[in-house]
Amino acid sequence: MEEESDFRKINNSFLRDHNYATEADIISTVEFNSTGELLATGDKGGRVVVFQREQESKNQPHRRGEYNVYSTFQSHEPEFDYLKSLEIEEKINKIRWLPQQNAAYFLLSTNDKTVKLWKISERDKRPEGYNLKDEDGRIRDPGTITTLRVPVLQPMDLMVEATPRRVFSNAHTYHINSISVNSDYETFMSTDDLRINLWNLEITNRSFNIVDIKPTNMEELTEVITAAEFHPHQCNTFVYSSSKGSIRLCDMRASALCDNHSKFFEEPEDPSNRSFFSEIISSISDVKFSHSGRYLMTRDYLTVKVWDLNMESKPLETYQVHDYLRSKLCSLYENDCIFDKFECVWNGSDSVIMTGSYNNFFRMFDRNTKRDVTLEASRENSKPRAILKPRKVCVGGKRRKDEISVDSLDFSKKILHTAWHPYENIIAVAATNNLYIFQDKIN
Amino acid sequence: MVAKGQKRKIHGDYETGGSVWESQLQSVLDISMDKFHRDQALVEPSLLRSVLINNTLRQVQFEVESLSEVGNPKSQTYTELQLESDFSRDSSLMSHNTQTDEDVIAWSSEDEFSLSSAISSILKDLDAVIEAGGPGPCVSQRGPLGSIENVTGDGKFSQSGLKTQRTTDIISSSSKIDMMYPSGLQDVALDKLLLDIDTTVFEPEVNFLQGFSVNADELLKCLPSMSKSSSLDSPSSSINHGQPTWEIHEIEHVMDVLMRTCPQS
Repeated sequence: MEEESDFRKINNSFLRDHNYATEADIISTVEFNSTGELLATGDKGGRVVVFQREQESKNQPHRRGEYNVYSTFQSHEPEFDYLKSLEIEEKINKIRWLPQQNAAYFLLSTNDKTVKLWKISERDKRPEGYNLKDEDGRIRDPGTITTLRVPVLQPMDLMVEATPRRVFSNAHTYHINSISVNSDYETFMSTDDLRINLWNLEITNRSFNIVDIKPTNMEELTEVITAAEFHPHQCNTFVYSSSKGSIRLCDMRASALCDNHSKFFEEPEDPSNRSFFSEIISSISDVKFSHSGRYLMTRDYLTVKVWDLNMESKPLETYQVHDYLRSKLCSLYENDCIFDKFECVWNGSDSVIMTGSYNNFFRMFDRNTKRDVTLEASRENSKPRAILKPRKVCVGGKRRKDEISVDSLDFSKKILHTAWHPYENIIAVAATNNLYIFQDKIN
Repeated sequence: MVAKGQKRKIHGDYETGGSVWESQLQSVLDISMDKFHRDQALVEPSLLRSVLINNTLRQVQFEVESLSEVGNPKSQTYTELQLESDFSRDSSLMSHNTQTDEDVIAWSSEDEFSLSSAISSILKDLDAVIEAGGPGPCVSQRGPLGSIENVTGDGKFSQSGLKTQRTTDIISSSSKIDMMYPSGLQDVALDKLLLDIDTTVFEPEVNFLQGFSVNADELLKCLPSMSKSSSLDSPSSSINHGQPTWEIHEIEHVMDVLMRTCPQS
């Protein structure tokens, strides 16, 4: 597979100045829109930065499709919940684009408690020639007006403005971890630790609860919802994953409350691998439908699994992301790394899957050839337009020259969020507060 | 010092309880307890994290119980292991170590996992406060204040033999909450209780989660139906049962009143 080893880096990366890297700059979500023209990132400071792909031009063919900053806005502000005396973080947990229906772009962004619908639109003309105002905006003295004119639209420098169109709030007691737009383009769902709510995009003061796993007695709580997603084509179907490593598929036609699942996906535990941390590492951090809608991908701490929707008993494929960490689980539990939530993504044709790891490594698995590659997203190791070199972690014994040993891995550099262009081989990788965009080699 | 994770290789080791496995059990227990205590110090720990740590602690307790049940001579050495301070940890964790040792011994002799019940009691108390805020715009098919049922006084608090400082705090704050919500009250009666609260009693820095700065007795005085102990014994007789369901606008009214007493940021 060509893209495994021949990734040429275009447009280097959007690197914030390391000297002033603040926690607010940590990227918390990355998402391409449905055409791949736009790429949105959300950060811990509640800001959303949208990048747009340049149009291809014949004059500069080597600059095909670079992404430039298109719009930046503050989506969420920190809030204070007076009732519970708690601060609500402004960190953007997820961004999801709506399909484009007119010249404007719409996206949903959410923090722990509130989902907002943002409209991003361009303005490249402005009216000139008002009667009562002059060009500076000052009011003209009516006595000096002798003629009337019709204001005319004149071109101006492109201005991109983002306006909040809807605010969906006060429906979640617990922290929102996912949002998913339905294929009917009318509804979306928001998921917190114990409940899933269904909203209509037009209505903000009412939502319907479709899943509630909160036990009557909170003492019996042993499982929480970790992620949820709508089926890409069937508007009645969605899945949600749990902290116990199971996935439930629900059909909204069956009943108003989807507490009873239609399908239950869980792999029986391997007794030889059992440890105190078995449950923690089985907790699913991300679930994604394939573009075809036929498969499901889940990410737990050490593996990525591909499930066939028609087979509930076990996954179709299991890929080891960083199995060398299996003997380090106790240390990773102590330093909290075991709770890191990695995401996973499909490529446009569902043939390759990608997920992140530590030390700014990210991994790609080709489902057809069964080959995999480890790449690194870092400034030091790649120059613009350089081809990324595959990396390797040495598990024991002799370490070769280019390999890195497990003990040398930097666990503070984790790649949790990645995105893949819907059609092309362009990927976006968020490494703490830096965004890297990689593109397939141009022939 | 970081405890090394050791993978148990064969099922046989599990039963015999090798020293390697025991040391891992000890380190998992210590780390989990440490995390549990730290999370208690946070105002709002992540629910996923709390549930995972809680489940791990349950698993550890299960292992400890199975060791002592079997009457395994190794269990003797296990308790000795805990008491020994040969475990090379930082000196700052030493005092914490002895506390957890006592805890484990206490657990192994108790039927209930009182720590997890303490954890989950915190969760449900949190939840009771949250749910009291009303259903908001979410039109749930369930009763809007259904989980208030959880907030009846729980006898388990008094049974917990936990000795650590932190858990004592948990118990005292929970017992304060118990006084607010006497046991035996039905949820509808509880709503009536909220209506009767004289909010001028609350000082501005009041925080639901950490108990009230007001003396609990003063609070009870303001609740006319609850001021007499006889009414506490037979709440059903003193509370009118045939009352209508809790109206949404009434909830909002109560919340407005309560929020006005809380500090503005």
